[in-house]
Amino acid sequence: MRFYFVFYRTALKAIAEYRVDFAVGVITAVAMQLAALAFYWIVFTRAPALGGWSPHEVLLLFGFTALVLAVSELLFNGIWWLPYYVQDGQLDRLLVYPVNSLFFVLMSRPELHALGNLTAGAVTLGIAWSALSPPTWALLLVPWWVGCGAVVYTGVLVLVGALMLRVVGPWATHLFTAHQMLNTSRYPLSVYPGWLRTLVLYVLPFGAVIFVPADFLRGHGSLLGAVLWPPLAALGTALAAKRAWDVALRGYQSTGS
Amino acid sequence: MSALPRPTLRQLVHGFVVLAQKTVQTRLTYRLATLVSLLASVASYGVFLLVWLAIYRENPRPGPLSRDEMLAYLIAAFLVNSLLITSVELRFGHRLRMGLIAGDLLRPLGFLMFQMAQGVGDVLANLVYVLPLFAAGYGFAGSAILPASAAAAALTLLSVALGFLIAFGVSYLIVQAAFVLQSGYGIMFLRASLHQVFSGLSAPLVMFPPTLRGAAECLPFHHEIETPARIWLGLVPLEDAPRLLAWQAAWGVGLIVAGELIFSAVMRRHQIQGG
Repeated sequence: MRFYFVFYRTALKAIAEYRVDFAVGVITAVAMQLAALAFYWIVFTRAPALGGWSPHEVLLLFGFTALVLAVSELLFNGIWWLPYYVQDGQLDRLLVYPVNSLFFVLMSRPELHALGNLTAGAVTLGIAWSALSPPTWALLLVPWWVGCGAVVYTGVLVLVGALMLRVVGPWATHLFTAHQMLNTSRYPLSVYPGWLRTLVLYVLPFGAVIFVPADFLRGHGSLLGAVLWPPLAALGTALAAKRAWDVALRGYQSTGS
Repeated sequence: MSALPRPTLRQLVHGFVVLAQKTVQTRLTYRLATLVSLLASVASYGVFLLVWLAIYRENPRPGPLSRDEMLAYLIAAFLVNSLLITSVELRFGHRLRMGLIAGDLLRPLGFLMFQMAQGVGDVLANLVYVLPLFAAGYGFAGSAILPASAAAAALTLLSVALGFLIAFGVSYLIVQAAFVLQSGYGIMFLRASLHQVFSGLSAPLVMFPPTLRGAAECLPFHHEIETPARIWLGLVPLEDAPRLLAWQAAWGVGLIVAGELIFSAVMRRHQIQGG
């Protein structure tokens, strides 16, 4: 564990050297959240509620989604660099280190612009929280839900990355599939058709870590479901991701120069 | 040492065409990767579509467009967007990081035309994927997705070409920003955010709240997506189309000229990195 901590700290220091990039990254992250909120604004000028959820209840979903994204970017962002590692032959070098290769890749490139998503998510969640007034003790569960959400999101990214390890595309665009699936959690599951609800609750369980807690906070879902479902979803996704990564590496062929 | 002879116009056009062809070939080499990224766009856009369908269930008349008109608009906007997505900034960012940009700056075609030829190649490659998507859109929305008239279809072709000029112009400005910042990653995502809100991709501007609509009308992004989609579907009277096309041309040329001016200034102080 000490090795991973030192490695992560070093990676953070390296990123922090590029201060302009950091500033632009934070502004960008906030802008992306504002872009999503602009559509929220359009939606609620045209309809009083969405799928049985009020504007403030939907805002809860926005807040959780931004926080999940932020924590994943801050701790496990390296997966986004996988296509480049493969193209440049750097993955070969990473694989020969006597460490867990998946953790090593995940921790290799933290993104400090996650602080922008963290701020935007906290503000959005704060506004929704003050409007809806759920029990105060539920605040203690927020880090638990966000942590589980970050594991699920990262796990899905690893699954996609592992599946595509042999399809060496020029960019990381295939990972955006997972990123876009996370965006489904910004809106109530009731607006989606049954097959998509099943997909985001059980297969790529963003709904289990974002929708289920938010449903509890608005006074509809059960506490037991909100406490137990997210870690189960996180555990299942993490195990599937690790398995997919190991299988993908067994068939990996170097392409680097 | 004598200077190299300047290429003739014929040679420049030939170089442009060959580079565009090669870009198409390169893009088609990564067929599966492109298909997967297209799937990502469909998934992302599917959320907008489903949210709008839910809005029409909650409020059957939420604005000036009927449900069917809205559905047709969203599909048309998605198709125009899929057609005009280029990899200009991504490609440039990669080459900048690796130090390969030094060679690009010396090409006889010129830096602007070098980037534009690759952008044209991207659009031609996109066409391969957009045509089946159009067929799928027809299956989903029926004849509502077809052009309002032959004149509307012809004007849309011109509008899409001008939309490309605007999209490329914005990309070219991002390339200049990347020269200065040594990384275009952040700016590229900033553009994506602005594009998502103001291009009319998620909704036509008539459905925007007044403040947001006012801001969108002052920016070029809606001329990339909304203008061609509206002309195609006949949501714009034909006599209004020339005015919109003139705005598109003005934005496209203005952005590219601005990019060239910044490029000249940037080149006086740029240092090549990487390698």
